[in-house]
Amino acid sequence: MIFREVEDRDLIAKARKGDVEAYNLLVSRWEKRVFNYLLRLVSNREDAMDVSQEVFLKAYQSLPKLDDVERFGAWLFRIAHNEAFSLLRRRKPEGEMPVERGNQGRGLLPIELSLAVEKALGRLTDEQREAVLLKVYQGFKFEEMAEILSCPVSTVKSRLYTALDLLKATLCEVNHEL
Amino acid sequence: MSCEKYDWKAYALGELAANERREAEGHAATCEGCRGELAHVRLTIDTLSALREEEVPRRIAFVSDKVFEPRWWDVFLRPSFAAALVLAAAILMHGYLTRPPAVDSAAIQAQVNQAVTRAVANVERQNADLEGQVTLLYATQTGIRRQ
Repeated sequence: MIFREVEDRDLIAKARKGDVEAYNLLVSRWEKRVFNYLLRLVSNREDAMDVSQEVFLKAYQSLPKLDDVERFGAWLFRIAHNEAFSLLRRRKPEGEMPVERGNQGRGLLPIELSLAVEKALGRLTDEQREAVLLKVYQGFKFEEMAEILSCPVSTVKSRLYTALDLLKATLCEVNHEL
Repeated sequence: MSCEKYDWKAYALGELAANERREAEGHAATCEGCRGELAHVRLTIDTLSALREEEVPRRIAFVSDKVFEPRWWDVFLRPSFAAALVLAAAILMHGYLTRPPAVDSAAIQAQVNQAVTRAVANVERQNADLEGQVTLLYATQTGIRRQ
C-alpha cells in the first residue's frame, strides 16, 4: 500500500509536467473505484461513464491546484462528488427515481443478493447513499469524507448512521438473518 | 438495547482509536445488548459487501483529447527533435570544415572570355580558308570554261 502511494505520487508529479502517459496510468488505477462510486450514486451506467470521463478530465486540468499529493484520492472523489451532484440536481425536475429491480426473496443467490443491496441503496437519499458508498465501498475515513463532501464530520456520521439503520431495516426483508 | 456510551457503528467501521476499541470490546464481553447491536451492524455491512463491483465499460483515456495535445513549443523538448537538431548541426559543421577553396569569379570570367575569343578567331580563320578555297575553285572552273 505504501509502495502504491509512492508510485501514485510519482505519477502525479510526472502528470503535472505534462506526461500524459503517467496520467493515463493514474487513471487506470482509479477509474474502477470512481466509476463504481458514480454508478451507485447516479444509478445509470452511461451517465456514470460520462461523469467519470469528466471527473478525470477536470482532475487533469486541476492537478496544479492539488496541494497535498498524499490526499489525491479524497481530492479526486471530491471532484467526482461535485460532478455527480451537478448531474443529480439537473435530473431533479424530471423526478427521475433510481431504477427498481425485481422482487427479492429469502435464500438469495449472490447475484440476487447484490441486486437486493442495489435496491436497498436506491431507497436512500442521494446524500445517505453517498455516505455509504464512500465509507463501506471506498474505505474513506470520516475526516476524508468530510473533506470530500465539504461538511462537518458530525454531518457525515449522521448521514451514514441513518443510512445504515435504514439499510438494516430494508435488508431484513430480503435476508431473514438480519 | 445497547448502551449509548458505545458507538458500535464507528467500531464496526474501523473509526475508533486503539484504546477506544479495547474499552468497547471489554464492555461488549459483559453486555448482551451491545453484542447484539454490534452483530446487527456487522451483518448489515457484510450484506452490503455483496454488491458486485462493476467493470468500467470502456477505458478512460485522454491521449487523443484536445486538452492533452502538446503545446507548439513542446515539440522542441522532444528527444527526437533534439537528436535531429544535433544531427543537422553535425552535418553543417562537416560541410563548413570540408568546404572547397574559394572561387575567383573574375578569373573564371577572364578565362571564359579568352576561350571565346580563341574560338571566334579559329572560326574566322576557318571561314577565311574556306572562302579562299571557294574563290580558287571558282577561278579554276571559269578558266577551264574559257578555254
